[in-house]
Amino acid sequence: MLSFILILIAGAFFTGIIIRTKSIASGRKGPGILQPINDVVRLFKKGAVYSRTTSFIFQMAPTIYFSSVVMAMMLIPFGQSKGLISFNGDFVFFAYVLALGKFFSIISAMDTGSSFEGMGASRESLYSLLAEPAFFILMGSFALLTGYTSFQEMFAALHLGSYISYAIAILATFVLVMIAMIENSRMPIDDPKTHLELTMIHEVMILDNSGFDLGLILSAGYLKFALYGAIIVNLFIGMVPYPYAIPLFFIIQFLLAIIIGLIESFIARFRMSHNPQFIFALTSVSLLIFFGVLLVLGKFI
Amino acid sequence: MDVSWATTIVAVVLMCFIPSAKKSILAIVTVIINAMVTSIPAIQALGGATSDFSFYAGTFLGDVPIRIDGLAAWFILIINFTSITGVIYGAGYLKAYKNAAYKLSLHWILFILFHLSMIWVTLLQNGFVFLIAWEIMSLSSMLLVIFDGHLPKTLQAGVNYFVQMHISIVFLTIGFLWVYLETGSFDFDAFQTFFTSNNNLWLFIIFFVGFGLKAGFIPLHSWLPHAHPAAPSHISGVMSGVIVKLGIYGLIRVISYVQSDFNLLGELIISISILTGLYGILNAAVHRDFKKMLAYCTIENIGIIGIGIGLGMIGLGSHSPMLYYLGFGGALLHVLNHSLFKSLLFFAAGSVYQQTHTRDMERLGGLIKSMPQTAIIFLIGAVAIAGIPPFNGFVSEFVIYSGLIEGLKSDNINLISLLILSFAGLSLMGGLSILTFTKSFGTLFLGNERETLPHQPHEVSRIMLLPQYLIIAVMLSIAFVPQWYLIIVGNLLSGMAVVSHPIAEEFEVSSLAAYSKTLSHISLYSLLFIAVIGLIWMIRHFAQKNKSIIIGNTWGCAYVAPNNRMQYTGKSYSKPLGKMFSFMLIEKKRYPEIVSGEIFPQPRKYSSHYLDFIEHYLIDYAIRLLLTIVNYFKFIQNGRVQSYVMYGIVFILTIFILTLLNLVK
Repeated sequence: MLSFILILIAGAFFTGIIIRTKSIASGRKGPGILQPINDVVRLFKKGAVYSRTTSFIFQMAPTIYFSSVVMAMMLIPFGQSKGLISFNGDFVFFAYVLALGKFFSIISAMDTGSSFEGMGASRESLYSLLAEPAFFILMGSFALLTGYTSFQEMFAALHLGSYISYAIAILATFVLVMIAMIENSRMPIDDPKTHLELTMIHEVMILDNSGFDLGLILSAGYLKFALYGAIIVNLFIGMVPYPYAIPLFFIIQFLLAIIIGLIESFIARFRMSHNPQFIFALTSVSLLIFFGVLLVLGKFI
Repeated sequence: MDVSWATTIVAVVLMCFIPSAKKSILAIVTVIINAMVTSIPAIQALGGATSDFSFYAGTFLGDVPIRIDGLAAWFILIINFTSITGVIYGAGYLKAYKNAAYKLSLHWILFILFHLSMIWVTLLQNGFVFLIAWEIMSLSSMLLVIFDGHLPKTLQAGVNYFVQMHISIVFLTIGFLWVYLETGSFDFDAFQTFFTSNNNLWLFIIFFVGFGLKAGFIPLHSWLPHAHPAAPSHISGVMSGVIVKLGIYGLIRVISYVQSDFNLLGELIISISILTGLYGILNAAVHRDFKKMLAYCTIENIGIIGIGIGLGMIGLGSHSPMLYYLGFGGALLHVLNHSLFKSLLFFAAGSVYQQTHTRDMERLGGLIKSMPQTAIIFLIGAVAIAGIPPFNGFVSEFVIYSGLIEGLKSDNINLISLLILSFAGLSLMGGLSILTFTKSFGTLFLGNERETLPHQPHEVSRIMLLPQYLIIAVMLSIAFVPQWYLIIVGNLLSGMAVVSHPIAEEFEVSSLAAYSKTLSHISLYSLLFIAVIGLIWMIRHFAQKNKSIIIGNTWGCAYVAPNNRMQYTGKSYSKPLGKMFSFMLIEKKRYPEIVSGEIFPQPRKYSSHYLDFIEHYLIDYAIRLLLTIVNYFKFIQNGRVQSYVMYGIVFILTIFILTLLNLVK
């Protein structure tokens, strides 16, 4: 329960902080940190425009997409406290629940019969599938390292002691940050601020969404950031007591948002054809983590 | 059993005489009676009451043992369910053929035989009779495939299937003969004697090839993508749903007798399975013939089942009951799940084909408006097959994932690395099937129709929809009461372990109890998921209540005259993937270049299609080589009767002389 609320709060600020960082980095004043939330609230109050090509899939999809993120949030633990849902192998459930949301957001893009939105759908499905093995190898390595198979037990048992385990944690952070970037279609995979349909991924998929549905999609995106941020936080807090853990949670989320803002300010996006290579490289980083785990466990003879 | 024989014979005779409109009803009744008769002992067997009996089959074979144990029962129930839904769907699907009475009689007679032969395959415990049943099954299914035999493509697919099934039979025969030569018995129980005293590896590999051809492990899969699209859809549904699984049945049956080398064989199977899965789904992603796509997707699912089987074998080898149950349990559950959603998808695809008369998804689109029920059915099948909660595909994939995690407890570093790679492989397969099915569903059912079809498609008849809803009902029962199915599989597996393995007493089914609780939680969370969706949907409903809803055109980037051909195609949707894996997904394009000096280019055609890497480079190459060699012996078959008579005389003379010289006795 605690993690659910914390993610909700962090999600409210996360995107605002990214935008603010980007504006400061480019020498502008920039909107307030709560601007993204204001945008969503305004969208929730609006009516909607639907294409006459679309079917009920298009209307259902944003709801399912948002629900999948909410469901995934319930699975995230916070230090010693479990998530709302916790069982052995819950990280598989986590990945597959998010997959349902993705499935529907993709087909809703195809439902419009547009020539652009299919393009985004194609890219979204390709890139997210390439990121999948990285996540699973990472989680598998943690299961191997700790001997547990649920998020909470795994993270609680992660003792950062030796140098190798620090290296593992840093690599894992890198992998998770990058997966978060891919899942949210941010730089260096995709530039959310681009204005050319041919080069967009996520944004081009939601061209036809409006009103409440668009609000749902945007807020799901904000929450997704905080979601992955929370996983990263869990890597580090372990068994730290709450009075320290909760501020630590916000500090790490804040840092993460600033880092993402800085990445987006100073790195150009990749060429579309280079994205698969980059994403697949994440899998090899995950494999490095796996080998690190084998080293820690002394299984290399 | 007598009831089923009597019904079958009466039905076969009757089929030839009744009017063609009634034929399908007769077929439905017969299949249902046969299914009921065989389901009763099967259900008892799943409860733990294995029934053994035998029948006398002449002096040569003696008493042929028949046993309905848990494993056979599990497959019998799957066969029965899929055959019943298949025959009901088929009755609607073949309505258009009511003028071809002889064709229909033959078709339904074959279907009844096909159903019965599949059941007998699971019952018989004697290698020789097993082969006969296996052969009847292959032949009847081959004849069912070539229902549209006047089309050369269909005939070609049929012959391809026919030949490959006989290569499978050759391997099985070698296997059974080997056991016979070593032990003097064709009975399956002789396997145990054989495996205890001989090397396990080679015999197992022979059976793996034999059964693997049926199941469709690479590189033995190449009949599937030809036979499934060629067959009428209810046949493809049953074939992909069950006949392929009988290869898996054979494999598990043989494994239940294997006595050693478990780890090696398990690792071998897992490696092949991962490759099979990835290869299957990669090909499925790029093909535009939607039935071919489903056929390749079957290959992927065989890979997933294979991972489970391999894990189970490693469980046997490393004396880990949990791994044994999770591995084989996941495999058997996935066999059930796949038989359900794959037949569902084939039926839905058949409905599309019946209405549009094309299997090319690039010519279709927007069918959700004219065939809403079929669209929803296809969507449910697609979500389920991608292994996404809240449907049943997730249950079995989760069991296999749990098995993989369980296997990580091993100390063997090779095994751990393999399992981590399977982890990655399985997740990649999941991602790829999302791509495949979003593509198929999106291209077929969403957007606008890409071409004006000769007939306006509309929703298919109720008799075709009914079996599909039946399947969905069973799928939901697996999704929401998975623990019930898991316990059945657990009991079945503990029975299997007790029968044939010396380490049986360790494999108490109670070790599964804790796990089944986890699984029951998942179904609860799936319900919660649905509740969350419902809640947000309600909120959305109230929030939008008094708001203005405007219907307009799809945003076209300020272009005001879009047409339906401008939609993103399925081909372009999977093109980036195809490009990435171009070393394996060979694309053949054909188009005339504009030559210099061609001032007024004429309309020209561009065509591209994907080739099966293994079929193209491995199998075709081997066949070309074989043809070259065999060509040198063409003079023997010269078509002159005189020389044939001479061959006979030479043969008799040789035998005579050899006997004379005491060289042969």
